[in-house]
Amino acid sequence: MAQSGFPREESTISQLKSKFPDAIKETKVDRARRITITFDKDHLQEIARYMRDELGFDHLKGIAGLDFPTQKRIEVLYFAASFSKPDIQDLLVILKTALPRDNPSIASAVTIWESAHFHERETFEMFGVKFEGHPDLRKLLTLDNWDGPPPMLKDIKFPEMGQR
Amino acid sequence: MVLDEMYEGIKHIFKRTFTMKYPYQKVLLPKGFRGRHQLYMDKCTGCGICAWICPERCISMVPVTDQKEYPQNPEKRFPQYWYARCCFCHFCTDYCPTGALDYTPDYELAEYDRDLLLWSPERLSKPATNIGQYRSVFHGDKGAMGVTYEPVNKQKSD
Amino acid sequence: MTVTKTTEPSTLDVSVGPQHPGSGHFRMLIRVDGDYIVSVDADIGYVHRGCEKIAEYRNYVSNIPHLERPCIIDAIHLNWGYVLPVEELQGVEVPRRGQYISTIAAEMNRIMSHLYWLAINAGVFSGHTTIFMWAFGDRDLFIELAEMLTGARLTYSFLPPGGPRRDLPSGFQEKLTKLLDYFERRLIEYDRIFFSNPLVIARAKGIGVLKREDAIRLGVAGPVLRGSGVKYDVRKVEPYGAYADLEFDIPTYEEGDSYARFLVRFEEMKQSVKIIRQALEKIPKGPIARKAPLVAPEGEATGRVESSRGEYAVMVMGDNSDKPYRVKIMNASFRNLIALPYLIRNVHVADMPIIYGSLDYWPVEADR
Repeated sequence: MAQSGFPREESTISQLKSKFPDAIKETKVDRARRITITFDKDHLQEIARYMRDELGFDHLKGIAGLDFPTQKRIEVLYFAASFSKPDIQDLLVILKTALPRDNPSIASAVTIWESAHFHERETFEMFGVKFEGHPDLRKLLTLDNWDGPPPMLKDIKFPEMGQR
Repeated sequence: MVLDEMYEGIKHIFKRTFTMKYPYQKVLLPKGFRGRHQLYMDKCTGCGICAWICPERCISMVPVTDQKEYPQNPEKRFPQYWYARCCFCHFCTDYCPTGALDYTPDYELAEYDRDLLLWSPERLSKPATNIGQYRSVFHGDKGAMGVTYEPVNKQKSD
Repeated sequence: MTVTKTTEPSTLDVSVGPQHPGSGHFRMLIRVDGDYIVSVDADIGYVHRGCEKIAEYRNYVSNIPHLERPCIIDAIHLNWGYVLPVEELQGVEVPRRGQYISTIAAEMNRIMSHLYWLAINAGVFSGHTTIFMWAFGDRDLFIELAEMLTGARLTYSFLPPGGPRRDLPSGFQEKLTKLLDYFERRLIEYDRIFFSNPLVIARAKGIGVLKREDAIRLGVAGPVLRGSGVKYDVRKVEPYGAYADLEFDIPTYEEGDSYARFLVRFEEMKQSVKIIRQALEKIPKGPIARKAPLVAPEGEATGRVESSRGEYAVMVMGDNSDKPYRVKIMNASFRNLIALPYLIRNVHVADMPIIYGSLDYWPVEADR
């Protein structure tokens, strides 16, 4: 493993890699206090439970969706951090996973990180990602009678916004 | 005791207040106030950076038909502003490479006819008209909220 | 407010609707049983306008007025939170004097935002109209100084990538110091008329208690977190701007009730005054900004600042063009939303404005 000079980030990565050798696909230390980890979507709940109970990452700051229409995938990003453990309080771990674009679905993280409740509702509405096991998956931000496609996908354009 | 709190409020009753009788009395705005834009047609080269950077897409470059020659702008393209959309961020003023746009303290731009909000380059080159006569002076110890308004020509400093 | 009958005979669904002056642009569907609120359903989205989608159609500089509008009373922090990851992607470093100017503007903005909270969310929602008048009057003095610094009263757009747009004008330092002396005297008066007022204490103490482990589990942010005993502030955890050189405290209270959240914001105003005084003393000479390129390379960056309502994080993804590929905004109001149905349960109807005001929920920021 290349020494990048960030011991706490490296130790978090090595702990995760040794526990889930086949579920973790890629890891990267972007800079100080930023770790990006790409994992396989079927192992979300195990990885989340390990991160919360053993490593101390106890809440999510947000869940983002990313649409890549030419590569036919939608990525879901989880921004996890820790309040309760002072020595890793400044780390921000970004967990990435790729879902197929025509039927994106993944297990819900609400049972482990309760802070994911409203973020999963928003990602469901904006990108069409179904979170299985979410107690109340319904529209959050758009109009009550909006029946169009998920608005944040790249092939949905609204002409008033201008050209890209 | 609630009477302590009431005293805090009551002791302000007899302080002198001030009301600016707008529109007869207006405040002198600080230098660099972001009102409407002023165009110096002798400096504009028609590059269009203002139109590119405008967040609201309210600037468009139009040809100007008059007899005057502009040697720095051979195609005679100048910006026209659609003030119904402008958010007065003045990124156009800051990013103009020749300094052809400037700040003015004019903020009374309301019209009865919506088409009059489209300002042509000639209209934009008129100088500013809103010069206030009163300046707010912060004393900290007298006046309501510590501020009084005094006419500008009575100022010595500040 | 519209009322509808529900299936159970003893409860009633009342919509504290989006047009209600006591709720902002936000709809709370509360289920009442007599004088007790049984449950709350937060129905947001009234002012959703697709901020993140529009941000993909504007270039990096044009995005600044667009992305500072969600919480316009806190515009410098929203601007800075967006510009930090853009500068990281482009590899631009802001000079030291520019960092100090941004810090001074940001702390002035924190005082302004807390005065707005004090006037509306703590004052008007609880019926205290004197503090409403006073806090707005004092806020206007700060707004006039911000107008002298940036040219605009509320919509600053002051920090493009590379550093602030203008330097401190002449006479600004003396005026700001005079205003801070006046404001510290006013904070004593605020304490006497509002924070030590027995009526306010009776309404807010012990109401809406959020225990420490629940605050961590729900992932709330800002004064809601610090009022429940978690000492966490992005200015200390990941220092940006000039905060690494300045000395200040993070006020934290253990009780977790609404009164503790009130006091956290009151103490933060005092700390902001301390920070501005130090920054005005220590500000170095030199350039204020560097030229930034107009495109950003491929890659992702996440930056975060401590806005007045809590932690504000932005992820920007570039694709080698002048417009971002994706801008993801994670703001404190959206994170605090989960505390609303959790806290407003089995309370009197009259406690609802106090709990809601102590959370300082800004509906436009949460909806984007």
